[in-house]
Amino acid sequence: MGANSGPGASPCASPVGPWRKVLYARQPFPDNHVDRRFLEELRRNIRVRQYRYWAVVRETGLVAQQVSCVAVFITLWSCMDQGRLGPSVLLWAATGCALPGYGLYEMLGGKDRERPRLADLQSAAVFLAFTFGFSPVLKTLTESVSTDTVYAMSAVMLLAHLLSFPYTQPSPPGSLSLNAALFASVCLASRLPGALHTFAMLSWALLVFALWPCLLHRLRERAEWSFPWAAGLVCAGGVGGLGAVWPGGALLLSLALLVLTLACPLLLVCLQRHKDNIHGPWDEAEIREDLSRFLS
Amino acid sequence: MVLKIFFPTCCNTADSGLLIGRWIPGQDSAVVLAVIHYPFIPGQVKKYLSETQNQSQVDLAVLGSWSLPKDGQEGMDSFLKDLSTIFPNSRWLQLSREIGKRGFACQVVHNRITPPDPAQGGTDKKDQIIFIHYDQRKVMLSQLHPIHEESPGEESSELRAVFHTVAQSGPLFLLDRYDEGPLKLTHWQSEGREASIVVELSKQASVPLCIVLTWLVSLWQCGIRILNIWPVQFISSKMSTCVQTAYRTNHFQTVFSTKKATSHMEFMRKANIFVSFLVDMSLGLLLVSWLYRENHISQLANTLVPVADHVAKELQELLEWLMGAPAGLKMNRALDQVLGRFFLYHIHLWISYIRLMSPFIEMILWYVGLSACLGLTFALSVLSDIVALLTFHIYCFYVYGARLYCLKVYGLSSLWRLFCGKKWNVLRQRVDSCSYDLDQLFIGTLLFTILLFLLPTTALYYLVFTLLRLVVVMFQGVIHLAIDLINSFPLFAMGLRLCRSYRLAEGVKFRVLCEEPGTPLHLMMEINPLKCSSVLQRYRTPTYSCYPRDSWVDLCKKLFMGELIYPWKHKTTKTD
Repeated sequence: MGANSGPGASPCASPVGPWRKVLYARQPFPDNHVDRRFLEELRRNIRVRQYRYWAVVRETGLVAQQVSCVAVFITLWSCMDQGRLGPSVLLWAATGCALPGYGLYEMLGGKDRERPRLADLQSAAVFLAFTFGFSPVLKTLTESVSTDTVYAMSAVMLLAHLLSFPYTQPSPPGSLSLNAALFASVCLASRLPGALHTFAMLSWALLVFALWPCLLHRLRERAEWSFPWAAGLVCAGGVGGLGAVWPGGALLLSLALLVLTLACPLLLVCLQRHKDNIHGPWDEAEIREDLSRFLS
Repeated sequence: MVLKIFFPTCCNTADSGLLIGRWIPGQDSAVVLAVIHYPFIPGQVKKYLSETQNQSQVDLAVLGSWSLPKDGQEGMDSFLKDLSTIFPNSRWLQLSREIGKRGFACQVVHNRITPPDPAQGGTDKKDQIIFIHYDQRKVMLSQLHPIHEESPGEESSELRAVFHTVAQSGPLFLLDRYDEGPLKLTHWQSEGREASIVVELSKQASVPLCIVLTWLVSLWQCGIRILNIWPVQFISSKMSTCVQTAYRTNHFQTVFSTKKATSHMEFMRKANIFVSFLVDMSLGLLLVSWLYRENHISQLANTLVPVADHVAKELQELLEWLMGAPAGLKMNRALDQVLGRFFLYHIHLWISYIRLMSPFIEMILWYVGLSACLGLTFALSVLSDIVALLTFHIYCFYVYGARLYCLKVYGLSSLWRLFCGKKWNVLRQRVDSCSYDLDQLFIGTLLFTILLFLLPTTALYYLVFTLLRLVVVMFQGVIHLAIDLINSFPLFAMGLRLCRSYRLAEGVKFRVLCEEPGTPLHLMMEINPLKCSSVLQRYRTPTYSCYPRDSWVDLCKKLFMGELIYPWKHKTTKTD
């Protein structure tokens, strides 16, 4: 009987023929018999991409700029909290940023419009009316909550925002990230002295967390060259703003940005060498073709 | 094989004669019902038997002969044996007893109408005979209760057949020794028929009285039909007085109907209702006599208004406490003030209403107290209604608080799903992911924040008013329990069980009377009365009793979600 099992053995010539890799036919070999074609179809690391360092650094700019966005927002809040900026100034600044931004968005958008301009106008009107109407209520929300609790809640929510942000597809904003950011902004805004402050804060939160990623995504799609400049501008604004309020924080932020932008891609590229993925016919089948042709 | 003969104790010392009774079909037993004495004419015996059989629907037969030889009556044996030819039967019993001895002697003569069954051994074996003595009067009046529910009319057990036979043989026991008829019988009533003038008179008088009362009740019901218009019906279903009145009207219909009760259960139900109604009325009259003596009514009225005022003041203080910082909880000041002022305004309205009514309270109470004449249950339900009316503001507050809280909880749960980017799929009854628009996300988050921070305030108001409402509901529940007890307790059945316990039988007990070798076994059958708990269970009058609608877990869940709770459910006979 075929007692020689192992990859190095020659195919057993037995009266019924060579060993076939089937289980439905009765063969004189034991069930765990393998021949020299064992693991022939094993592939290693077929999908491992070879990253280039500077390309990764360029992509990391998105994460860095999102962290800086949060820093910018906190800067604006603490300026209003300390009374350095009045709410009307901020409101005018918001208008001054929103309108050119919308114009830029339209210019880069071109012919394809998913939403008519009227719908955009309607959304804007709804935002403004709702925020303005509810800001007295929002202002009194955290009156009885202690300051430490408010700060802790906001910090947790902003962290959640950063962690759940859809970095791969930022254009429709992810629910959890946007909601976390708005929740944090409401918590912080309710600590400010007046209802107009709250309104200004919320408008800026909308601009920074909801509308800016859409514009950035559009920039990346249409004008690839401008993306690093935009990210760099935001990072600089973040560091600078934080520096005006809390120099130590600016230092921390710049350190974090450097680590994020320069050290982490290096780590990624270096660790690619140690990847060891195996693939073979035992993997789950993935349907790669477009099945919509069956629907029509 | 064993032959069981049920022998009445009243015939133990009867003169010699013929045994009248019934062979239980399918069993090897016979029930002796009476003894017909000498002299008799067989033709008249047969005629009498067939008449009685028509009247009582029991298939009577002459079972055999009985001889208790007294002085000067020897030599009856051969005479008795010849009688078996006159009254043909498959078996003929010959019982004899001697004065001074306890045991009977019995001989069974088989008439060979059919050849002996070869399966039973073929030859005539000596029959074993057991005599079971029973008290005929008690067995006749008793009702054997089934352990499990059986369809009536089936005589599935031997004992049930015996009881049924004796109970149905009423017409047999009508002849007593004072009757001038051709036959002389001995049975339990042969010393003289029991009757009392009072019972007979009331039986005669009750028929026209029942007719009059039934007519009055039907008039009353026609009058009540007006109350079936929707608004009045809604209110009257909420007030326990109206419910109790409707319930009692139903009872009167049952009790005063001119139809005689056919089955034991119907009779017991009528009797229970009647007795409980009498007790109720007498307790009510007691209460009325106490209330109207020594001016208790005006004392009551004079304390009622200050009590209502005091309750309102306590509520006011509670609301002021809530509007501050109660127990150090973090309340939203603006919402707190709004809710607190809203409820305070309600209380202010309530106090002015009570002050307005205070001159009329005494008169109202005086007339309402008169209604206690209709029964204690009526007075208790009026009390329950008064309590409900006086605490109506608590009920209103509870409804406001609960609705607000419920809205908040539903809003929060839905917006939380929006926060995580999910949605409730109504078609599939599950939570699915959903990509929302920007404006939906924005407004949803704002609303979620607002609702979340306002939750402690609303929850506290809801908690306080729910507790108050539960206190009132518990109190009403206690009153209703008392009403229910008076309504449904089967007083007549309990009295019967205590005084005449043989009438409600659960089973029988056997006691050995005489066990001598050579004579048949003599047993005494005594009735085992029904246990008191079984009496309560079987004869409980079905009422609209209120019992808890939900289990504790369901109740807690409902309270948590803010659904309105109505903890007592009224069981109506229509929906059962």
